[in-house]
Amino acid sequence: MLTIDSLSKSFDKGKNYAIEDVTFNLKAGHVCAIVGESGSGKTTLVRLIAGLERPDHGSIAMEGKVIASLNKFVQPEKRKIGLVFQEYALFPHLTILDNILYGISKVKHKKQRAQDMLDLVGLDDMGSRYPHQLSGGQQQRVALARALAPEPSLLILDEPFSNLDTMLRTQLRNEVFDIIKKTEVTVLFVTHDTQDALSVADEILILQNGKVIQKDVASNLYVKPSTLYVASLFGSTVHINKNLQNAFRCPLKETCCHAIRNEKIKVNPSPDDFDCEYLTTAQVIKKIELGDSIQLLLKLESGEQLTVITQDKNIADTINIGFNSKDILEFDQEQ
Amino acid sequence: MRQGGNKNKAFSLKTRLTRLKRDSNRWSVFTLAIVLFLALPIVFIGVELFSGPGETWGHIVEYLLPDYIWNSLYLVFFCSILVLVLGVSSAWFVSRFDFLFRKQMEWLLILPLAIPSYIVGYAYAGIFDYGGSMDLIFRQLNLDFVRIDIMNRAGLAFVLSISLFPYVYVSARAFFLNQANNLLEASKMLGVGEAKTFFKLMLPLARPAIVAGLVLVLMEVLNDYGAAKYYGVNTFTTGIFRSWFSLEEPQTAVYLSALLILIIFALILFEKWQVRKVKFTSAKSNSTQIQRKEPKGAIKWGIFSVVLLPILLGFILPVAQLIYWAILTASTVFDFRFIVLSFQSFGIAITSAIITVFFALLLIYFSKWSALRFIKNVARVGVLGYAIPGAVIAIGIMIPTLALDKWLIKMLGNFGIDSGLIINGTLIALFYAYAVRFLAVAYNPIDSTALKVDNSIPDSSKVLGVGNLKTFFKIEFPLIKTGVFSAVILVFIDVMKELPLTLILKPYHVDTLAVKAFEYASDEMVMEASIPSLFIIFTAMIPVIFLNKLLIKR
Repeated sequence: MLTIDSLSKSFDKGKNYAIEDVTFNLKAGHVCAIVGESGSGKTTLVRLIAGLERPDHGSIAMEGKVIASLNKFVQPEKRKIGLVFQEYALFPHLTILDNILYGISKVKHKKQRAQDMLDLVGLDDMGSRYPHQLSGGQQQRVALARALAPEPSLLILDEPFSNLDTMLRTQLRNEVFDIIKKTEVTVLFVTHDTQDALSVADEILILQNGKVIQKDVASNLYVKPSTLYVASLFGSTVHINKNLQNAFRCPLKETCCHAIRNEKIKVNPSPDDFDCEYLTTAQVIKKIELGDSIQLLLKLESGEQLTVITQDKNIADTINIGFNSKDILEFDQEQ
Repeated sequence: MRQGGNKNKAFSLKTRLTRLKRDSNRWSVFTLAIVLFLALPIVFIGVELFSGPGETWGHIVEYLLPDYIWNSLYLVFFCSILVLVLGVSSAWFVSRFDFLFRKQMEWLLILPLAIPSYIVGYAYAGIFDYGGSMDLIFRQLNLDFVRIDIMNRAGLAFVLSISLFPYVYVSARAFFLNQANNLLEASKMLGVGEAKTFFKLMLPLARPAIVAGLVLVLMEVLNDYGAAKYYGVNTFTTGIFRSWFSLEEPQTAVYLSALLILIIFALILFEKWQVRKVKFTSAKSNSTQIQRKEPKGAIKWGIFSVVLLPILLGFILPVAQLIYWAILTASTVFDFRFIVLSFQSFGIAITSAIITVFFALLLIYFSKWSALRFIKNVARVGVLGYAIPGAVIAIGIMIPTLALDKWLIKMLGNFGIDSGLIINGTLIALFYAYAVRFLAVAYNPIDSTALKVDNSIPDSSKVLGVGNLKTFFKIEFPLIKTGVFSAVILVFIDVMKELPLTLILKPYHVDTLAVKAFEYASDEMVMEASIPSLFIIFTAMIPVIFLNKLLIKR
């Protein structure tokens, strides 16, 4: 449905690339999350897709038709893409109903369609209000209704929940995606929050420094991350460098890069009931209470420092830690 | 992974050209056309230089040019000192201290901008003349009148400074109010005294803002014709008028204009250099307001008088003199013809304000809709007219349009139509010139309100399937209305006050209040000039007070 081929965009004539050589496909009806830190190029990528920026290289095609390439550019207003902006971008001088009506054209029952959209997002009695009279969550839903009203073939959500506090965020995220599921629209969902991505996306695309690092279904990203960076996005991770390999006496392939998730490091398995393949002793430098668990800052004999989390409240000053080879993550190159 | 392969390709000449073709749209072309149209008068000055100087050029270079240069430098130098002292001190005192009538004085300090310099000049001539106001007051008090002759260079410098210092006041005050508080507090915490804080900290930091205001003042100084003419000081502008009207040598006027443009560009470069040197002050504005001190005793009265003095000299005294004259001459000046003249003047000002704002809107939005990034910078070239003196713009328009008019007369004559001067015989040339000269006055308030509208607003309109023009009318225009409205008012005031450009380009039968005042003064009827002058001042004053908040925000 959406095909992106070696797309590049630079804002300083090629010195730095906001988006570099991005290639991917999106299937109709899928929800794809684009995950990356701020500055990774997420917003530039969606602006390119929406037609608000023009690519320096590569092409974008929708439903088999090229909408942007080196010599072709389809105006944003001709693309049939719905976009929900981070800051909602509701028209402040129009009522909620007029905001939603704004994009609907060539439909006989415009008013009815707009009212249906209001019903869909559960704001049926708010049509005559102005944006500033609504709460952040309500504005968010209006923005969604407005984007869905012209029946776009692709809906893009650009960090739609980043302006909301955590409590509201989870609730609204579920609400929004319940609404979206009803419409069966294809969705690109931009976020810096992996929790957001994991909970709603069919597949996730990881962007770092403008490049696609990995694109996969959610479960694979956790189990088979392609780089250390991707691994650390989905839970804190320790890079098993040469020193750690020596400390744990676990020789690993030199051509690869290895890591272990902190949660997979076992604390205090007594040498007697020994279920860890690799083991070492460590000195506890600091204990941080986290409520139901404790975070430990450890110092290994080799001098390396490491943090682990344990439920065990009785921690001696020197403890044993270890992990198993099945939990080791292996990457092609060091990132 | 492919690395760098496409990177190099993306900015090869070939792909750049392909993209240029893809991204050129009609908006890019329109923007270029408008910029060219607005830059045409200056381009013509440049082109005309190649036709060589006029016959009198040698004479002027030998006898008059040193005078022009010397007088202009003298004015630039002494006006700089005076406006800096008046503008910066008053700005600092009203932002740092609280005293009697401080709030009222804060906006009263802007009012001198409502009086054109030449009118301040007329008023002061009347105050210091034999049989003038000072003379009368001295005689009433049975004192000997020691006449101060101000009809000279020094007097002109004083008159220009006292009427133009608010430019420095406004920009310095904006800096002190918006940016200074946290620095001020830091300085206080370090135990540094008031004077040292001002000279070592605030003054250096405020320099870019102050220089920006100063450059505006100096452009007005070089633009002035009316006051210099009345005070008998030969400047570049009076020189341009002399060669145009008395010597009837357009080529000489062109050469003088070109020299003047060079001086102005030197000024602009100076400003850019000053601002670049002190980049660090462009920190974000501080939300907390300065905590004003309340001085006591002698200091309080000292500050009060320092702030009152420029208001007194720049506004109250000249206006009082004009009102006195107006009472004396009302019966002879104020008649039906004068009312017609006033309406004509308002009509010209409002029409040209709307035309100018229209051009500003076209330039701002066309360049925005153009997908080529360099077009935005090109658009800013169209704004440069504010720097060019009115007389120079007038010459730059008059020469090509007269030629065009002659050609049109010939062409239409072939069809038996006696058209007369279509461009110069009507108001077309005048409106064109006002648009060139005052585009920046309209552009800046509109641009700054447009910048406040987040890009995502028009962007979301486009994504919803609505094109540029419809987005503008339905979404953007309603959101920038106030900016557009203030732009119309600001241009209106400037056109009402404008003199040199109007004098050169106005059709024979058309007059404005400014021209009328100038004509009275030139005909030794300076008292009669008071009524049109007061009309200008009062029309300019109401919006100045009204726009006070807007000016300060900028």
